[in-house]
Amino acid sequence: MSNAGMAEQAYTVASDSETTGEEKISSAFPEIAIGIDIGTSQCSVAVWNGTQVELLKNTRNQKMMRSYVTFKDEIPSGAAIFNMKRLIGRVDTDPVVHASKSLPFLVHTMNIGVRPLIAALVNNVWRATTPEEVLAIFLVELRTMAEEQLKRPIRNVVLTVPVSFNRFQLTRIERACAMAGLHVLRLMPEPTAVALLYAQQQQQTIHENMGSGNEKVALIFNMGAGYCDVAITATAGGIAQIKALSGTTMGGEDILQNLMNHLMPNSESFFFNHGINDIKSIGLLRVAAQDAIHKLSYQTSVQVEVDLGNGLKISKVVSRVEFEELNHDVFEKCRSLIIQCLRDAKVEVEDVSDVILVGGCSHIPMIRNIVKDICKGKEIYAGMNSLEAAVTGAALEGAVASGISDPFGNLDLLTIQATPLSIGIRADGNNVVHIINRNTTIPARKELVFTTAHDNQTEALIVVYEGEGKKVEENHLLGFFKITRIPPLPKGVPEVNVCMDIDASNVLRVLVGVVLPGNKQLLTPFMEVRMPTVDDGHGWCAEAIHRTHGSTLDLVPLWKKVME
Amino acid sequence: MRDPELNNSQLLQAASEGTTLVVPRFASTSYVHVTDGYLSFPSLKDPRHSYHYKTRNSMWVSEVSLLHFSLPNSSQFDIPNNLTTRWRHKFTSVRCSSRSDGQSARTRKSYYELLGVSVDSKPQEIKEAYRKLQKKYHPDVAGQKGHEYSLMLNEAYRVLAREDLRREYDASIGKMTVGFGGIFSGMGYSSWKGPLRPQALFVDENECIGNTFVMDDALGCARVKVQYGDDDKKIEVSVDSCPVNCIHWVDREELAILEFLIQPQPKEGYGVFGGGWERPANVFMAAKAFNKQLKQQADHHQRNASRTVEEETPAQAEARANASMKIKKERLSRIWNWVQEFSGSNKANKE
Repeated sequence: MSNAGMAEQAYTVASDSETTGEEKISSAFPEIAIGIDIGTSQCSVAVWNGTQVELLKNTRNQKMMRSYVTFKDEIPSGAAIFNMKRLIGRVDTDPVVHASKSLPFLVHTMNIGVRPLIAALVNNVWRATTPEEVLAIFLVELRTMAEEQLKRPIRNVVLTVPVSFNRFQLTRIERACAMAGLHVLRLMPEPTAVALLYAQQQQQTIHENMGSGNEKVALIFNMGAGYCDVAITATAGGIAQIKALSGTTMGGEDILQNLMNHLMPNSESFFFNHGINDIKSIGLLRVAAQDAIHKLSYQTSVQVEVDLGNGLKISKVVSRVEFEELNHDVFEKCRSLIIQCLRDAKVEVEDVSDVILVGGCSHIPMIRNIVKDICKGKEIYAGMNSLEAAVTGAALEGAVASGISDPFGNLDLLTIQATPLSIGIRADGNNVVHIINRNTTIPARKELVFTTAHDNQTEALIVVYEGEGKKVEENHLLGFFKITRIPPLPKGVPEVNVCMDIDASNVLRVLVGVVLPGNKQLLTPFMEVRMPTVDDGHGWCAEAIHRTHGSTLDLVPLWKKVME
Repeated sequence: MRDPELNNSQLLQAASEGTTLVVPRFASTSYVHVTDGYLSFPSLKDPRHSYHYKTRNSMWVSEVSLLHFSLPNSSQFDIPNNLTTRWRHKFTSVRCSSRSDGQSARTRKSYYELLGVSVDSKPQEIKEAYRKLQKKYHPDVAGQKGHEYSLMLNEAYRVLAREDLRREYDASIGKMTVGFGGIFSGMGYSSWKGPLRPQALFVDENECIGNTFVMDDALGCARVKVQYGDDDKKIEVSVDSCPVNCIHWVDREELAILEFLIQPQPKEGYGVFGGGWERPANVFMAAKAFNKQLKQQADHHQRNASRTVEEETPAQAEARANASMKIKKERLSRIWNWVQEFSGSNKANKE
């Protein structure tokens, strides 16, 4: 995730073969990173073509491609795997994984905190795969497509990701990219990519009007099939400054499942069998429900007629009011996300200049109503294609971060990101003490001092968590490491400095050093650990640590020193 | 290897450990932390320290003055030696180079200086300055080397962009200057070599060089390094022979303020990164105004301090604990600087 070609080399390989170093340096022209938006259900590729952003079309002349990989041609047959963005980086205790069991392919869970087993039906065999693998296959397709059209090898990409992705999930996306031979230049939260596009549009408008370049605050609401994100951005002079982000795993998929359950109340248990015919039935029901949702965006009721086979027929009229009641919780969650984001950004609704709605769900009338309602009737910003905005922003970021400049100033842009989730360490028993709070502008660096919990404690465990909860269970484990060589002293005396640093490409490094009392110098060497370090099965780690070490390696925040 | 100024910052660190000075309930500011050249001014109320204010005043002031009045040692000049020609030579060559040094910027700048705005600038100006600088130094634009600058900018902006935090920050600047009017403890830019006396030597830099030279980058200027640095006669000769009449005898009490005010406040955006610097046109008038302001602030402190005798409630105690957490968070990383030092010295060793 480092800046390609910009960062100094962190290490050198002993045998200095030609593979070391960045190949980019030799090239006279910087490679333009392409932007990819892998949505839960659709994806797209865009690139800066020298004058503007262009969306690439596949051989079927589509700009939007469905995000599925089929291991056999026929759909829906169990061979098509999709919704991988909802499953990537999740363990089998995650409710989102469990909710995915009604999808027309196999999702097996053991409920022990490991990755779930996902399998596609190929020639009557459930063939296991992983979300990373599926995404990688897909990314290879996109890459090939882009390479053919751009007539050059593609290596660097800017990908959009949901705001609510934790760092472990981000590493999985990176891994999928690596499997596809792609180097991730930036992972951009989706609404921030939209914010960058907005910044560009505003700048162009100002150029035309010769305006003064006043700051404009925009609220961006993005809801796709899998995730819902909100961002508040302050824009001036081509800079998108992200003031706050909020997001959750909720999207069109949830709306779809609610409707499917409504159309066929026993569908979930019915489909758990995963017989071949059942799978086919799920597939048909999904298609019918999707169709109904689309229609309900512009008509007040819809007649659903579907033959699921095996004598199962569904014939129901669904009104928009009914549909809205079914998804009441989803819509309320949207509302609370927007309100939270405004609050976090310390922005009053009156100060919002533009309200931008993007994503596949942005046409649902109820969602537009909610957003309008919160924003006191403000009209929705019309200058953006709701499905193309994120990928366009990603392509812009790709060009900017690749060091491309545009003589007309169309790339005179910058995104100043904020980190969407708080990061802290376990301290004071089972609590998480946050060191970097959510919505901190990055690059960010914060430090906090801790001390030992026991007398003569010579080692301490730094357990890093991400999330907003006060207790460790409510947060996501990122990794852990041990500090040794603490001088044996009464508890509360040694100072353990914990410093966290997030760079512009969102790499988190945790740096820990011990200060000897009386001597204001740090005991060397320090520890520097790039997070996350945990891998699959990380759900176990925290528990295993606790079982093995109890509280012997605990830390507590050092209040006392501050008071002195 | 090491920044020559690091001695000062170490001193600062040492000083900061003992001087979490409290003026309770003053604009909710109570602590000022000085860490490696950074000031952070979170809110923390600790009644226990309420009345340490006066007793610690002198230490307080000295801590602050170290930060605010020391400029790169390398660029100080000795007043008596051969007067103007030699001075001019010195400022232009040494000053500018030490100013553009990134590390010195890191350890020396106030947030205002860092953003290249004046202390009284409007939020809009601060925003614009921040954005302008980010556009130049954000890692997306400048690469990995922009990381450190960008961090500093973010921190400065975080404080100055929020009215409450900025007020605290401003108050802390005000607070540290409260001492000036009171007991003179040798702070200010120049040091005293010899007994205090009512008159002190001060160079009005505007007069001295401002009309003669235009410095393109930073502050080329002359100033007094050591009071009593030479015998009176020599100094007298200097004062009299200055062609632009820029060396003044001033009241001892005024010296610190004058020396403080004569420090250029960067203007026009590019602050530490090379841009214009601004000084009060008439430093003596400015000092008068400043003194008045300080006096008001001091009164305000006194008034507010008297309100804090009540016992702390458990809720307040918790708030205090939280605030102290915050304070720790808000200190910019000492540890990181250490690491930089070590890795820096390692690099130097290798080379």
